Amino acid sequence: MARRAPAVAVGVGTLALPPLLSGSHLTVYILLGLAVMVTVGLSLLMGYAGQVSLGQASFYAIGGYTAGLLSVHSLPPVLGLLAAPLVSAAFAVVVGIPLLRLRGHHLAFATLAMQLILLSLVARADWAGGAIGLQGIPRLSVGGYEFADDISYAYLVWAAVVLTLLVARNIVASRPGRGLRALASGETAAAASGVPVGRYRLAVFALSAAFAGLAGGIYAFYLGYLAPGSFPVLLSIEYVVMAVVGGLGTLWGALVGATAIILLVQVLNTLGTQPGMPGYAPSVLSYAVYAVLLVLVVIFLPHGIVPAVRARLTRRASSGAV
Amino acid sequence: MTEPLLRVDGVSHAFGGVYAVREVDIDVAYGELRAVIGPNGAGKSTLFNLVGGQLAVRTGAIVLAGTRVDRLPAHRRARLGIGVVFQGARIFRGMTALENAMVGAHAVTGGGFAGAVFRLPVHRREEREIRQSAREALARVGLAGWADRPAESLPLGQQRALQVARALCGRPRLLLLDEPAAGLRAAERDALARLFEELKTSGLTMVVIEHDVAFVTRLADRVTVLDLGRVIAEGTPATVRADPAVVAAYLGTGVHA
Ligand SMILES: Nc1ncnc2c1ncn2[C@@H]1O[C@H](COP(=O)(O)OP(=O)(O)OP(=O)(O)O)[C@@H](O)[C@H]1O
Ligand SMILES: [Mg+2]
Repeated sequence: MARRAPAVAVGVGTLALPPLLSGSHLTVYILLGLAVMVTVGLSLLMGYAGQVSLGQASFYAIGGYTAGLLSVHSLPPVLGLLAAPLVSAAFAVVVGIPLLRLRGHHLAFATLAMQLILLSLVARADWAGGAIGLQGIPRLSVGGYEFADDISYAYLVWAAVVLTLLVARNIVASRPGRGLRALASGETAAAASGVPVGRYRLAVFALSAAFAGLAGGIYAFYLGYLAPGSFPVLLSIEYVVMAVVGGLGTLWGALVGATAIILLVQVLNTLGTQPGMPGYAPSVLSYAVYAVLLVLVVIFLPHGIVPAVRARLTRRASSGAV
Repeated sequence: MTEPLLRVDGVSHAFGGVYAVREVDIDVAYGELRAVIGPNGAGKSTLFNLVGGQLAVRTGAIVLAGTRVDRLPAHRRARLGIGVVFQGARIFRGMTALENAMVGAHAVTGGGFAGAVFRLPVHRREEREIRQSAREALARVGLAGWADRPAESLPLGQQRALQVARALCGRPRLLLLDEPAAGLRAAERDALARLFEELKTSGLTMVVIEHDVAFVTRLADRVTVLDLGRVIAEGTPATVRADPAVVAAYLGTGVHA
């Protein structure tokens, strides 16, 4: 029962928040939900299966463009939303077959290169709006209901967050999840135990892409506009930072890490743009202070926030029992 | 002669032009416990890796119960019944002992990602069976009390036993064990020897690499001696002990110990 308490608290908080938030805060809340979705996928990929991706924003972009392009060409938006994770996953399978021959740093750099290539291709693709971007994406509507205001997007995004968390949790706690964790620890021993290592690595890569793709699809309908510049490499790196800060190898870590980073960025932005602050304040705060805080987290909480809190709680519980 | 469970037929393997295994032929009968001995660098582990699929077989054939397996990847061979216990302790870190053993069930189960995501009834039943068989495997190797411990926190002897439990959880027909007794204390060795006897009684075929000649010759039906990648002798423990080539190559005075 006590284990369920954080989940219940988070659930209630998530439902209660949207009507209480003002316009710009609601936007942050929506973007946070989207970041959590991508980070949950990345946490599966990195934390459980031990594969690093520095190109996760590519799948976010592909999901966005899939949803955007389909609905701009007057297909029902809901089809665009359903296609977003599927196309992202299919893309991940196609590029994953050659890329996943690589491991560790090599894989990280290859996924980074994948994103750079993708961005430059999109910037040249006139049919996708080119460098200027894709405009006039309609709002999402399902059946007769149109997702018109921000509150409806907030609920949509957080429903999708719950979906990704459930899917991820069900996988982690089952046969394929054990196979993934085993291969992260040792591919040879995993294969000798009957784990189809290559297929599993590809599957988890595709799954993480599907989560990012779904998030990208929602993003497209929410903003109504997409450009290659919305998906910089920095965004991919930020997802990795969120996963690491929250704690790899735990799904709550994705939620906590994304929340911590997004709140931090917001607070620093607000501080930097206070009246009386010097003109260079925003950039100093958003880069320097951000970087220093990250370094501090890595030094003092090397396994991330969630594992550190858990360790402290178990210590307190066991010392209380004595 | 009846067909053997395992047939290694003319298998060679070279690392950068130097042969580690050279034209090796070995037949292992159903239910047999075979010891493979030989000095350091004789090619014993390389031979295991060729049978288990960790190394690609370029020359020769490997046949399990009439089926050629030498072109198959390791996980397919595991599904066909080849279980491996590696030299050292290759446990999965970050997982409990029970979860480690459960991974071994991959070889005999098929539930995939979709079944897990949707929690299908088939999937739930399979999960229960996997958990059950992993608990049995742990009990069999004497690790019942360690199930919920992180695998890396187990002492070496228990980690070794855990590898055996993991392999057993895949219900192998042929179990390959690479120096399972190395580094174990006397009591742990005795426990391991008893386990081998039990497994043998239950009909499992095993091939055991071992440095401690006394340890394996006590248990083995037959012994194969490798030296410089070649089989230099094969037979019952008694005949092998008496073989002058073996004495010269490897056993020296230790043979009567
Ligand atoms: N990956 C490798 N690359 C190059 N040479 C290797 C490799 N693995 C093994 N060898 C060489 O092949 C030969 C056989 O090694 P192998 O590990 O099979 O011996 P072994 O009989 O298992 O020895 P030990 O009793 O020390 O475990 C050795 O000369 C070794 O140096
Ligand atoms: Mg060896």
